[in-house]
Amino acid sequence: MNILINGLCLGGVYALIALGYTMVYGIAKMLNFAHGDIIMVGAYALFSGMALTGMVIPACILAAVLCTLLGILTERVAYRPLRGASPLAVLITAIGVSYLLESIAQLIYGTDSKPVSIGNFGTVKIFSADVAVSSLLTLGLCLVIMVGLTLFVRKTKLGRAMLAVSEDRGAAELMGINTNAIISLTFAIGSLLAAFAGIFYLMKIPSITPTLGSMPGIKAFTAAVIGGIGSIPGAMIGGILLGVIEEVCNSIPAVASYTTAIEFGILILLLLVKPNGLLGKQRREKV
Amino acid sequence: MKTFRFSLKKYRNYLIVAAVLLLFLAIDLFGGLRRTDANLLSQIAISVILALSLNLVVGFLGELSLGHAGFMCVGAYIGGYAAVAMHGAIGSSVLVLLLSALIGGVAAALAGFVIGVPTLRLKGDYLAIVTLAFGEIVRTLFRNQAVFGGALGLDTSSIRFGTKLYIPALLLVLFTLFVVQNLMSSKHGRAIKAIRDSEIAARASGIAVTKYKLTVFVIAAFFAGVAGVVYAHHTSPVDYGYFSFNTSIDILVMVVLGGMGNLTGTMISAAALTFIDVKLTTALSLDAAVRNLLYALILILLVVWNNAPALRHAREKYSLRTLFEKLSKKFFPKKAEEDSESAAWDKIPTKIPMDAILSADLQPDRAFTPDPPEKEEKP
Amino acid sequence: MYGEDAGNVADGKKIPPEGKPKTKIPPHGGIDAAPHRYEKRKEERTMKKAKRFLSVLVASVLFVTAALTLVSCGSDTKLGFKDGTFKIGATGPLTGDTSAYGISVRNGAIIAIEEINAAGGIDGILFSFDMKDDMSEAQKAANGYFALYEDGMQASIGAVTSGACKSFADVAQADGVFALTPSASAAEVIAAGDCIFRVCFGDPQQGTIAAHTLTKTYQKIGVVYDNSDTYSAGIYAAFEEEMQALGKTYETTSFEKNSNTNFSAQITKLKSAGCDVIFLPIYYTQAGLIAKEAAKQGYNVPIFGCDGLDNIESQLDDSVTAEISYCTPFDVRSTDPAVEKFVKAYTDKFGKAPDQFAADGYDAVMIIYEAMKAAGVKDVEISAADLSEILKATLTGGSFTYSGVTGKNMKWTADGSCEKDPQIVKVER
Repeated sequence: MNILINGLCLGGVYALIALGYTMVYGIAKMLNFAHGDIIMVGAYALFSGMALTGMVIPACILAAVLCTLLGILTERVAYRPLRGASPLAVLITAIGVSYLLESIAQLIYGTDSKPVSIGNFGTVKIFSADVAVSSLLTLGLCLVIMVGLTLFVRKTKLGRAMLAVSEDRGAAELMGINTNAIISLTFAIGSLLAAFAGIFYLMKIPSITPTLGSMPGIKAFTAAVIGGIGSIPGAMIGGILLGVIEEVCNSIPAVASYTTAIEFGILILLLLVKPNGLLGKQRREKV
Repeated sequence: MKTFRFSLKKYRNYLIVAAVLLLFLAIDLFGGLRRTDANLLSQIAISVILALSLNLVVGFLGELSLGHAGFMCVGAYIGGYAAVAMHGAIGSSVLVLLLSALIGGVAAALAGFVIGVPTLRLKGDYLAIVTLAFGEIVRTLFRNQAVFGGALGLDTSSIRFGTKLYIPALLLVLFTLFVVQNLMSSKHGRAIKAIRDSEIAARASGIAVTKYKLTVFVIAAFFAGVAGVVYAHHTSPVDYGYFSFNTSIDILVMVVLGGMGNLTGTMISAAALTFIDVKLTTALSLDAAVRNLLYALILILLVVWNNAPALRHAREKYSLRTLFEKLSKKFFPKKAEEDSESAAWDKIPTKIPMDAILSADLQPDRAFTPDPPEKEEKP
Repeated sequence: MYGEDAGNVADGKKIPPEGKPKTKIPPHGGIDAAPHRYEKRKEERTMKKAKRFLSVLVASVLFVTAALTLVSCGSDTKLGFKDGTFKIGATGPLTGDTSAYGISVRNGAIIAIEEINAAGGIDGILFSFDMKDDMSEAQKAANGYFALYEDGMQASIGAVTSGACKSFADVAQADGVFALTPSASAAEVIAAGDCIFRVCFGDPQQGTIAAHTLTKTYQKIGVVYDNSDTYSAGIYAAFEEEMQALGKTYETTSFEKNSNTNFSAQITKLKSAGCDVIFLPIYYTQAGLIAKEAAKQGYNVPIFGCDGLDNIESQLDDSVTAEISYCTPFDVRSTDPAVEKFVKAYTDKFGKAPDQFAADGYDAVMIIYEAMKAAGVKDVEISAADLSEILKATLTGGSFTYSGVTGKNMKWTADGSCEKDPQIVKVER
């Protein structure tokens, strides 16, 4: 029971990161490899914010604002010049951005891990199991954010514009949609989600290193692919599935050494059976 | 004259490697080769093999593989293990190296096949993430086997080759070059490049896309495995931590910096980066973060410069190739003319965006029609 | 045609921002004039972009060069061999994820060298020390060794981490160079040959000690170890063996530090199994996380660890109330005069208290110095192989003991391991 709830909580964090990946992939048609490192930047911003103000909430706001701006900036500087170039080039640039952010963080903060405490909220009893309140909080907030995002994309004008850009960029442009602005907006939202994910991640694992974002980033991307990249509910399902799998593997000593291998193995197996992921759409290639 | 230059072009890469090998052999023969230099040279050879093989996938096939270190890992562990086992039975260490290189290479190629069959149907981004996942899986698997030394790594100290490793290593570079270059200049090579430039068009032309992709992938994995075996003869213990994502990225940087699809460039950049890397750490104790920062900047700037659609004209104007052409036109006008026609076959064409093709006949031919005098209107 | 001044300001204002669709119709001009002017603007725009790009390139190169100069000038550590001195070399992670350990060892060794030289070295012959960066990688450790050897290294304190030190030890043994590693604790390191010794406890030693100490007080022991780390896996293997020999049961969970630092499943498991102590044969960063996770789950049993837990205070916050203790040869709060003197010298020079790695580094250099003094080595030009023979004979001769900051009356056996008494240190908060 406890393992399941912890798994859901971890899955929530993965799902949030995966949502950022999925949105950017769905709309800008690029794999934003640096997404995981935006989480790391958010975590360090939170750390510095807390060191400066001593309070959690302003630090969280600082992290969110900084990540959003950073998302827009990287899109503007590194990705927009390559719009229309081969996807390979964009992917390599994204890896470059990821490396850049990590090494800058290393130069500023050093490589040793920085402990952070966002607060301990104690435990509650659910079905005779002690569950940390922060886990429930993470899970609840993740759900709220996901529902909000789905509504935003489905119901608002901007959200529909995003869908249109995702469907056919050229046609969307002809319909008077400013595609560049929409893509910037997508990056902003994705990075904001990454900032939230960073905060929740720190609640779960209260320590920061410059490479903090890379593994969760890769795992979340795995989650997005498992769920079907480009699909918002797919990202949620994939993330939560991966979180539960990780937690269950960790709790079995014989398997714990292979956790990472199992997570990635599932990805490969799934792609073998369903190349588009669980909820992915079949896209026909155009000539 | 023409035939001679033609062959010079064809054998240029071999000549470079052979010249380096002979130069250092000569230095070695007169006892002047320092151990650090011989050591560095073998590391350079490993990097060159890795970069050449990754270039097959990234530069020629146009697919991104982020798990090249994973294939190297398979080669290093399996080949290293086989070499340690054979070491007692076979006296000649060169024979052990070659046999284990074959075993490690085949093991890596098998891994490449197993991973390639399900994933090569996928589009580029998926392939990148699956190869990355593969790299992580492989490391985890080897680390957890007590046979391969567990977390400390496989102890290969008994087969440590010592200072003479650079000779077989450079010979293996020659072999890699031979395979890669011949593959790419054959009709299969043209098919592979066609797949890179337009998969749909290639498929429509009757090219067996999946088969070619798989072949390239497996060959690249083979050579990554060979590089891994050389690594196992060079370094003990073979540590799973070395084959991380970062190593894959280092190899990718070598390929991107050297020019995707450009073998000479790849060789030079792999050698230069390894040299700089080793010298910076042993001589300067340069912070790894600064090095990574440098790599990241190089990667971003180079890729943007080489690919941004908006920079096309500037690229043509300022590129090194243009510079060389201009220089050669200036100094050897006749040779340059010949060059421009005869050498065109092995040039890697930059992709032409659709709008450039469509508007091509609208563009004034700048070489012949001089621009009319400026009559700038004020808005 | 399109010269340097092509992209002047007046033109620049008219040009729509880049990234706009290329299909846009130019704002002025008739159909026949349009293509040419449009092309020209496009060209100018590209030139401007290219110039901007080049300036970014130049700027970043300048920035990086500046950073490089800063980095290379910034380190005032007095590294490097000097002529007419005894030369002691080492490699260690000075950069990268594990750099904290390497830098500590380097600083500890520098304190030792300064102390030796202040006392006049051996008959006025001073010592010099150099450490190459190995980033905890086997290959880089061997590179560092070759470079040091060519620089004239006469004795070494090996490498800092086990994997790198195994590589260092192999090449050093082949040359017959003496290596006394401060902190590489894996059994395989000293097994590389008779020239390789260590200052710290070996992993098996620690696992055995832990098993004996813990079974005395506690009923059910829960273990969390790092299966991707040599140190942790080494201690765990010995612990497991000893527990089986003692016939006691325990609960085990593991993790991998690079991809998996979410400890909720492990703690939940130990908690539900009812363990009354958590044994952590890991380093302090992850141990701090585990302590916090346990506190979050309201599981406040004592935590016990090995010398890797040294410095765990830096990772804890107020939520952790559990009692934390570890078995270590070095205690920074000790009132022993030798330790107090070392802690003071270190704190004065580097602005922070030494950790166990620094103490090991200090002792390693001091042991070589004391052994050379005891053997009466006076030839500054002595070859590394000759010095190695002398040091080996002295260390294993039986009469030589050393009392330093990481133990009293330390003795060495021929296999290279060090005999000294452990002490249990409790973390005070």
